[in-house]
Amino acid sequence: MLRVDLTHMTYRVEELERDVALKYLGGRGLNVYRLYWEVPPGTNPLGPENKLMIATGPLVGFPHGLGSRINVTARSPLTGLLGDSNAGTHFSEEMKYAGYDQIVLEGRAPRPVYLYITDSWVEFRDASSLWGLTVRQAFNAIKKEVGDPRAQVAVVGPAAENLVRFAGIIFNAYRAAGRTGMGTVLASKNVKGIVVRGDGYVEAEQPERLLRALEQLIYSLYSNPQYWPRRVMGTSRILLAGHRLGFLPARHFQEPTADYAFRVSGELLAIKYNVKVRACSAGCALPCARFFVVKSGPLAGLMGEGPEYEPLAGFSVRVGISDLDRALKIVMKVTDMGMDAITTSEVISWLMELRQRELISDEEIGMKLEWGEADAVERLVEMIAYRRGIGKVLADGVKRASEILGRGQDLAFHVKGLEMIQADPRALKGYGLGFAVASRGADHLRSEPFIEVEDDPELGMRLFGEPEAAMRLGVKGKGKLVAFFEDLNAVVDSFEVCKNTAENMLVLTFESAAEMYSAITGVEASPAQIREAGERIVNLERAYLVREGIRRKDDRLPNRFLKEPLPSGPAKGHVHELDVMLDEYYSVRGWTSDGVPTPEKLISLGLVEVAEDLMARRVYNDEGQGRSG
Amino acid sequence: MAEPARGLHVVVDPSKCAGCNICELWCSFEHEGVFSRSMSRIQVITYELVGLDYPVVCQNCEPAPCVELCPTGALSKGRAGGIELDKSKCIGCRVCSEICPYGAAMMDPKGRYPLICDMCGGNPACVAACPTNALSISGYAMVELPARSTAERFAVTELSKLAKGWGIEVRDDEGA
Ligand code: SF4
Ligand code: SF4
Ligand code: SF4
Repeated sequence: MLRVDLTHMTYRVEELERDVALKYLGGRGLNVYRLYWEVPPGTNPLGPENKLMIATGPLVGFPHGLGSRINVTARSPLTGLLGDSNAGTHFSEEMKYAGYDQIVLEGRAPRPVYLYITDSWVEFRDASSLWGLTVRQAFNAIKKEVGDPRAQVAVVGPAAENLVRFAGIIFNAYRAAGRTGMGTVLASKNVKGIVVRGDGYVEAEQPERLLRALEQLIYSLYSNPQYWPRRVMGTSRILLAGHRLGFLPARHFQEPTADYAFRVSGELLAIKYNVKVRACSAGCALPCARFFVVKSGPLAGLMGEGPEYEPLAGFSVRVGISDLDRALKIVMKVTDMGMDAITTSEVISWLMELRQRELISDEEIGMKLEWGEADAVERLVEMIAYRRGIGKVLADGVKRASEILGRGQDLAFHVKGLEMIQADPRALKGYGLGFAVASRGADHLRSEPFIEVEDDPELGMRLFGEPEAAMRLGVKGKGKLVAFFEDLNAVVDSFEVCKNTAENMLVLTFESAAEMYSAITGVEASPAQIREAGERIVNLERAYLVREGIRRKDDRLPNRFLKEPLPSGPAKGHVHELDVMLDEYYSVRGWTSDGVPTPEKLISLGLVEVAEDLMARRVYNDEGQGRSG
Repeated sequence: MAEPARGLHVVVDPSKCAGCNICELWCSFEHEGVFSRSMSRIQVITYELVGLDYPVVCQNCEPAPCVELCPTGALSKGRAGGIELDKSKCIGCRVCSEICPYGAAMMDPKGRYPLICDMCGGNPACVAACPTNALSISGYAMVELPARSTAERFAVTELSKLAKGWGIEVRDDEGA
């Protein structure tokens, strides 16, 4: 583990506490452990006292076939709560080969710098000439300066420098750890980029056992029927599926389908523009990141990696754009500015709905704003990144923007301050519950209960004893479903492997995870212990939120999803029955009906100090009185 | 002097390569028993901005400059193709590494000896593990040897040919 003191431009290498590594596995788990104990309540997210953690996991560096990832964690400037974001990147294995499982950045550099981290030293390099550059420009400039093709580079864009609250860290020029403003935190520390390079290696304590486990894992990956569609389209294939199942966020969740869906789909992108598959990181046997080049028309020459479903849907159906080329251009602009595509698409589509409802005028916005106006959307992206005009308001995120303007609070689609992803909870009820309870706000990646899309009652019966659990419009069993997948995803995120393969294709089960973990570390772990570690991580994250005053009242969905029936599509007439599902979820979790993990629960998971901390902070005294934070 | 040609070697199709480094990791494991990118005999050079990857690997030159110039006779042509290294003779002088026209003879991270593809004694681990079939085996092609080059320079020259087909210009000073 590497601890960097930016204020004094010094660093030291610390031994990772062994018991901590065992309890929290790595990655996300390790990061939230540090956040809980080292970043207390009241910390200013943009002050030097906030800390930014970057971590890899135990499987990273091995050819496990799943894709390697990285978690970035800090207190979020967007939500004021737990900030955490994850990206698939070569940075991950390079950091591991350099010998670090976790990098902790503290303080604030006296002037703009970028960090150059290797096996043997850390250098603080001057970045004053890089300040102001876009993501791709800064990436290129750093790569040139470093002059090593193996160096892995992460940078922030202009949005982060201008303290837009939802700026991400962009790895390898295109791969964003976008959510919750982690790039903003990095820029607030005067850090423009991080370079990592390592010549080391990884090895297993029990190599034979690891080889057997790897062989099985790779086999189950290659034999999965989803292998090819995923490889050809990545997640961009969800757009057309979303149209078919009626969960698209078209025109800011006013319509769940879009008759032009094919024209902006991953299918069309693959046919027209994809030139090559790419793997985001070492060891991925299902390379699903595609490189595209627009070959003709006014935007010929436009190129980039991806895009994935979230940005693609965000800048097509969510804002009413039906032209693929224009959507691609905006996605690349958002990446170049270094902003979270999901949040950006929410603030813009929210503004468009305000305009539609005449809650705001063209004069106030500073331009003519209508659904599908690609030029306007593109201008807004820039205005946000540079905090110009109305962009200044939007740059604070949709919750704050609606408060500042004093309008459209009911239309501001966020949970706990984090904007909603591109899926309508009325048509995907388990996902909806997942958004409401997710520890970082409205996000699907904490739970990702994808099997409800199977609509297979027998599967639901077999796995959860509730047919409805595996039916997307069902209600009963969703608490169990979400809790199970939250635990699994906590393991996947802490192992730092890719959810598309490990979780969505059910390649990494608690069993195979335990086998690999034991083989690599030489510490025997059972599947039950691995699941318990997942549950521990979820509970620690919840404890962090509870310590900040978060309760059931905050586990909400915006009113549109609870009160207005879906106007059309296959799930027409449905609303989201959140409260019933919440009751089930809390009881499955062993939390109080107000959403607080009980001391008994925490203690049974080995979180004794956390239980004591919450008691000392009088969390349990106020129980049931709906204390707000 | 014999016609310029190649012996049995790993053939690369950069239009398929995804840059997943799986070839490197298995090559390193096959020879060194650990997983590492730096201890591999095949090196994937990646240019992110244009999404390109090129696995640089020994092309088994005929005659092989590395074998001919090695001052201690540590290198020889393997029976299963590739180049074999007699570690007991190698003095780590880097001559092979510097003369290789493809930049395919990288020194090990500690500079002790060169990492040159030996075709795994006839059963190439990288070819077996590559998920995209970007690697295959071929031999005895008649080619002109390119001018002396580093791995990066060689990769970028090859990749720019590929990118041209997409309508993108890649210059090798781009260093992306
Ligand atoms: S190492 Fe280089 S010089 Fe030697 S045979 Fe292989 S490609 Fe030719
Ligand atoms: S054939 Fe064997 S030695 Fe040569 S690059 Fe492939 S794995 Fe390495
Ligand atoms: S394993 Fe195949 S696809 Fe992956 S980097 Fe090597 S050659 Fe490219």
